[in-house]
Amino acid sequence: MRDYWLSKLFFDLQQPALAAEFKANRDSVLARYSLSPEVQDAIRENNAPFLAERTNAYLLRYYFFTIGLKDAEFIQRLRGG
Amino acid sequence: MAEFAGAFAASHGPLLVREWESIPADQKQRLTRAFQELGKRMSAARPDVLVTVSPDHWANFFLDNYPAVCIGVGETNEGPPEPWMKAYPHQKLAGHAAFAMHVAEEALRQGFEPSISHRLKLDHGTCIPLWRMQLAKMPALVPMLVNSIEPPMPSLARCLEWGKLLRKAIESFPGNLRVGILATGGLSHSIGEKTMGAIHEDFDRETIKRFSSSEKSLVDYLSQELPSRGNGSEEVRNWLVAHGAAGGRGFDLVDYLPVPAVIVGCGFASWG
Repeated sequence: MRDYWLSKLFFDLQQPALAAEFKANRDSVLARYSLSPEVQDAIRENNAPFLAERTNAYLLRYYFFTIGLKDAEFIQRLRGG
Repeated sequence: MAEFAGAFAASHGPLLVREWESIPADQKQRLTRAFQELGKRMSAARPDVLVTVSPDHWANFFLDNYPAVCIGVGETNEGPPEPWMKAYPHQKLAGHAAFAMHVAEEALRQGFEPSISHRLKLDHGTCIPLWRMQLAKMPALVPMLVNSIEPPMPSLARCLEWGKLLRKAIESFPGNLRVGILATGGLSHSIGEKTMGAIHEDFDRETIKRFSSSEKSLVDYLSQELPSRGNGSEEVRNWLVAHGAAGGRGFDLVDYLPVPAVIVGCGFASWG
């Protein structure tokens, strides 16, 4: 399953300017995308398994890299740890 | 007429740049040697044009329109957009519009339907191998982006056929060009899924072995194994394109080593 707007957010966050804005004011950026409350919560909680079911795996990795998670921590989160 | 100058394959992965310093010294040395050996072989083949076969890691395409295969027909290609690739020495990379358009037209004549783009960004998938190979002279690049990251993907058999088509397009191009092929990606790795970090050395070694057997044996093995060997392993499609172009023979392994620090089973090969 693909959540279009979640995927679009992750895709757009490859732009450094948007990534910087997201880090400074996440909710303001989230408000521009048509995301369900559950998806917004998953983003706020870094809920990798929930997000993984809804987007492309490479986009998910980019997202967690963008917000500053090293791969080791990302892997741990993917496994539900 | 143009002539086929040889085919080459190398793994790629962001950590080959981002975590280069944390790779154990002996593995770093082998990776360096393998990339350079490939660069040496490519330089000896003297390609004027290099068809680079790689996936698009969301640099050009999104879910709105993600082509199975896209040929870059522009005079110029953009360098990698990833911020961590900013040290890459080329922000613009010359294309070869005439040859690229010939490939696209030949494809359409033969019943293949590629997408085309007049301006592609070449992401780390293409640029890391080119960077690490340390080519003295960069050939004109004709990017061929093959979807191996967002299902559904082109079939394995179709990728082999694409390689054969490339060879025909090379040999029917009315110009005095030497054209090489560089496939990038693979071998086994797993990205953004629960198994991320896993390298299947047994799969990689058997895959390498099958490149020296029949096409059927290779495709049958990959069809059976790919679903359980990590999503990054799907990039072996690019190797199949190179293999098809090389006539399904001549595979010579430069090196293979699983590198946990970059979470990729790293393979390097050339076809004469």
